[in-house]
Amino acid sequence: MESQKVDMFLMANGKFFESHHLNAIRDRLITLDDSKWPMLQTLQLKDPTTSLIVSILAGSLGIDRFMIGDTGMGVGKLLTCGGLGIWAIIDWFMIQGATREKNMEKMQQILY
Amino acid sequence: MARNRLYAILLAACVAGLHWVAYAYQTPAETTGVCIIKHTTHVPCPSCGSTRSVLSLLHGDVSGAMWWNPLGFILLAIMVVTPIWILFDLATRKSTLHKFYHKAELMLKRRWIALPAIALVLVNWVWNIYKGI
Repeated sequence: MESQKVDMFLMANGKFFESHHLNAIRDRLITLDDSKWPMLQTLQLKDPTTSLIVSILAGSLGIDRFMIGDTGMGVGKLLTCGGLGIWAIIDWFMIQGATREKNMEKMQQILY
Repeated sequence: MARNRLYAILLAACVAGLHWVAYAYQTPAETTGVCIIKHTTHVPCPSCGSTRSVLSLLHGDVSGAMWWNPLGFILLAIMVVTPIWILFDLATRKSTLHKFYHKAELMLKRRWIALPAIALVLVNWVWNIYKGI
C-alpha cells in the first residue's frame, strides 16, 4: 500500500489504538496488498471515549465489558455488583486501554 | 486474553470473593452492603443479595438462598471450582480452563443464548426491586 494512504488511515484511526501499536500497524500496512483496503475501510472499531462513558454510567453492570466484546469479564462484573464496586472503579481507568487492545485484536485479523 | 493473565485475574477475583464471604460471615448483614448502584440510587442491582444468598447456602438454607438471589448458587460454584481448576491446570501445565473460557465466551455471544440470559437477568432484577433487597 502507498505510504500516503497508510498515513491517512492512521491519522483518521490513530485514537483507536495504543501508541505503541501504531508503528507496527504502519509497517505492516505498507507491505500489504491494495486489495485489503476496502476491508480496512469498513472495519468497525470501538471508540475508547464511548466505552469510558458507558463504564462510568453502567460499569457496575459490566455493560462496558460486554460492549467491547469482553463477554467473560462482563459476566464477572454483572454477577458481582461490579466486583463489589472495586472492579467497576478500576475499570474507569482500564477500559480505554482494554478497548484499544480489543481494536488491535480486530485489526490483527486483517493484517495477518 | 493470554492464559496467565486470565488465571491471575480469576484467581484474584476468587480470593477477594472468598475473603468477602468470610468477612460477611462474621459481620451482621445490615453493615455489609457495598453495591455502588444501591448506595447512589437506593434501587438494588441484579446481583444485590448474592452475599446473603451465599451465606444462607453456607448455613444450609437452600430456599433462603433462592429467595435472596438465585445468582448466589452460580457465584458460590464459581468461587469454589475456579481456584481448583486453575491449580489443576498449573500443576499439569495444561490450559483447559483457558479454552473453556473462550468457548463459553463464544457461546454467550450467540443470540439464542444471549437473549434468554439477558431476559433472566432482567427478571431477576425486577424481582430484586420488588423484594426491596
